Amino acid sequence: MNRPVLAFALRRLGATLLLLLALSLLVFALMYLSPGDVARNMLGTRNVTPEALAEIRARYHLDEPFLTQYWLWVSQAVTGDFGTSIRTGGPVGPLMLSRTGITAATAGLAFLLSALVGIPVGIVAAVRRGRPLDRLLVGVSVVGVSAPGFAVGLLLLYVFALGLGWFPIYGTGDGFLDGLWHLVLPAVALALGLGAFVVKLTRAAVVRELDQDYVTFARGRGLPESAVLRIVLRNAAIPIVTSLGLMVAYLFGGTVLIEVTFALPGLGALMEESVLFKDVPVVQALTLVVAFVVSVTALVVDLSYLLIDPRVRARTVRTRAVRG
Amino acid sequence: MAGMDAAAQGSGGHRPDHRGAYSRRGLFRAAATGVTILSVSALLEACGAAPSTRPDRSSGSSGSAGTSSADVGTDTGKEIDVLRVSLPGSLSNLYPGQESGILNYYVAGICMEGLVGVDTSGRIVPALAESFERTSPKTYVYTLRSDARFHDGSPVTADDVLHSIEMARDAKVSPSTASYWADLDKAVKSGDNEITLTTKTVDEAFAWLPSNADALWIAPKAAWERSKGGLGTAQSPIIGSGPYRVTDFAPDSHVEFTRVDTWWGGLPKVAKIRFEFIADDNTRLLAWRAGKADMSLNVPPAQAHQWESAAATRVVYAPDRSYTGLTFNLTAKPFDDVHVRRAIAHAVNRDAIVKNILRGRGQVATALSTPEQFGGLWTPEEATGRLAAVPQYEYDLEKAKQELARSSVPGGFTAALSYPNTGPQLGTAALAFAADLKKIGITLDIKELPIEQWLAELNEFPPLSFMWYFNTAGDPGELPSWFLGEGNPAKYDNAQVKAAMGKVSTESDPAKRAALLIEAQTAQAADLAYLPLWWGQAATAFGDAVGMRDFTSYTLLANWPALLYAAK
Repeated sequence: MNRPVLAFALRRLGATLLLLLALSLLVFALMYLSPGDVARNMLGTRNVTPEALAEIRARYHLDEPFLTQYWLWVSQAVTGDFGTSIRTGGPVGPLMLSRTGITAATAGLAFLLSALVGIPVGIVAAVRRGRPLDRLLVGVSVVGVSAPGFAVGLLLLYVFALGLGWFPIYGTGDGFLDGLWHLVLPAVALALGLGAFVVKLTRAAVVRELDQDYVTFARGRGLPESAVLRIVLRNAAIPIVTSLGLMVAYLFGGTVLIEVTFALPGLGALMEESVLFKDVPVVQALTLVVAFVVSVTALVVDLSYLLIDPRVRARTVRTRAVRG
Repeated sequence: MAGMDAAAQGSGGHRPDHRGAYSRRGLFRAAATGVTILSVSALLEACGAAPSTRPDRSSGSSGSAGTSSADVGTDTGKEIDVLRVSLPGSLSNLYPGQESGILNYYVAGICMEGLVGVDTSGRIVPALAESFERTSPKTYVYTLRSDARFHDGSPVTADDVLHSIEMARDAKVSPSTASYWADLDKAVKSGDNEITLTTKTVDEAFAWLPSNADALWIAPKAAWERSKGGLGTAQSPIIGSGPYRVTDFAPDSHVEFTRVDTWWGGLPKVAKIRFEFIADDNTRLLAWRAGKADMSLNVPPAQAHQWESAAATRVVYAPDRSYTGLTFNLTAKPFDDVHVRRAIAHAVNRDAIVKNILRGRGQVATALSTPEQFGGLWTPEEATGRLAAVPQYEYDLEKAKQELARSSVPGGFTAALSYPNTGPQLGTAALAFAADLKKIGITLDIKELPIEQWLAELNEFPPLSFMWYFNTAGDPGELPSWFLGEGNPAKYDNAQVKAAMGKVSTESDPAKRAALLIEAQTAQAADLAYLPLWWGQAATAFGDAVGMRDFTSYTLLANWPALLYAAK
């Protein structure tokens, strides 16, 4: 059984690489077409001759045809050299590395919070379907889903940082514990919307399973409610795990706003500055990293189906056996 | 020379942005901003009523309104352990040759020196050169200090200076400022402790160039070489000979400076200065209310009221040497007709804009040069008086109608005008005069653009455009020499004006030069290629525990930490 799984994973990895290539071309094209002029972004309204502007553009090969520019970038990128950031003048690699920790920690914390709180709450709501507790939880999660992250962030800042003084207002702090303490509010702000989303999806998945005939049958056979719930949860697991995978992509979008609000020097804040500046090397590298993480997550989610559902497992093995 | 880029926040050819040299409001946020402002202002109003939790501010003084002096209480003479300064937007590179927002200048200036510097009145003063002399119209001789040392302990030598000039001229190492050096012919070591710079043409503004307020930051040659062209990044932090050295730098987060005991000017009173970059205006205000900073630069005008009402806070206003005005493209219809331009000029109520839209935090501009640019010759008040001699077009809709009737488009027309998202006051002003123009038959189609897009649009010489320019050097000819010279944005060509500007560049007597500048701008006013609207002001917030002497338009470009004191 392992060999088909391995082949499946490899196939997916190949597809991911192709996807990354296509994505890099797409993002490069979008940046190329977006309005704005790097030379002007650097020089502002100051008086410079058209020649000086042209010189700056030439330095970053912005005067070359589109495909040449892309080729120059891609031929370096495949060797692992993502070039030099136009905005900061430093190499892209170390620039991104120095910021990955903050974003990974914030996003990871938010992910854990929303999964650890969202899933149990969703299950409780489903089990108590139609009762006041369910209505309350669903109502709260609708608010959570609809509240934009940065607004929640400001509200949290106002209440818990300025008002109560429990948390710091901005920045990263020194050392591990202080750093973690600084990330609590940003992570909560991110997790609120996300967690609400998880609550709704979990509830829907569990409710759907609870309506199945096998549940009625199991109950009819006199199975204890906990045993019934275990079966239900296993069946509801696939949509829930899928939604967790999708959340990863959403998390990266959320970090852009959250990091700016909390003055955290992470990848999201870097993305904002770089896109506006048309700092193509940084945007390209960032997009690829994010796309890679999202693709890998999708792969992990798919592989997890094999663990969760024996039917999928059997099907995969069978298909491979027939084809191979 | 033109300004530097006020990267997201600035002064001086700096990229205009309300947060000063570097704050860029995100496109991502654009949609969200409306909501934020609504909800947050309500929130913040509410928190004005809450007790202040600022630990280090006496509860004695409640928030005072804006002022023009940064002095407070009495100088206790005590040392300040840490000065915490919050900046809008972020700095990702500390070398202003790479990232040249005005905030970059304020920050780098306490660490890196030029041959010369600027004082609070806008005069050029010695820095690493203990004296300097212009021995001929094209020759500048600088005598270096013998007691200056870099932060790594090595002495400042002529070779370091020459190498730093070479780096400043290198478009790869200093993309933001290299073009300023175009007029330098050569830089040579003319004695043990002497540097001689020669220019290609006679250029009065050149004297500003080798200052850290304009285009030169001197670092050890070895440091330049080690950094491989990347000085200013986190991997190669800046190093200089100034009163402070970098002790911690996290790009887009914070930078910390510690005083050195090797500075030729003595030991500063402030032991540490920590700059925090807080891109979000609302977060920065909350941090201020929580007592997390002693000083905040470039407080956004839209929020000034909330800052002023914070406890133990002074918001100090000083002219930021910026010019805001309209530029007409004289080759584009219908602006090629002087009557059209006059009609517009008569329909713009500049007094009302300054009073109501800028809340008085600005000055009606009567010319291209701002009054502060005449520092060293005239006080700003004197200069304002002299510049008022330039003929103006008073607000008069009747006259506007008459002018339009005499023009090529007597029935009116429609024109587009865009403004950058970082200058909302430009948009509000545009809406105000658009309403008046509508009455005489001219329809303005006003559009907000992201700053990046707005800058790119300026490359295309739009028929009607805003100019929002921050002067870099303290040279009154900075903007006029661009606007009235070759390659100007209005495609303006007037022989008399050009002749006057030709004399400006070679006249070495400051008073005569100033008179020539006013003469050229007077001639321009008749042609009306440019309609000056206002000269701006920047707001700086101070906590009441800290005072600053001599706060002027130039203070933050000068050796400003030396002017701070612990107040009681």
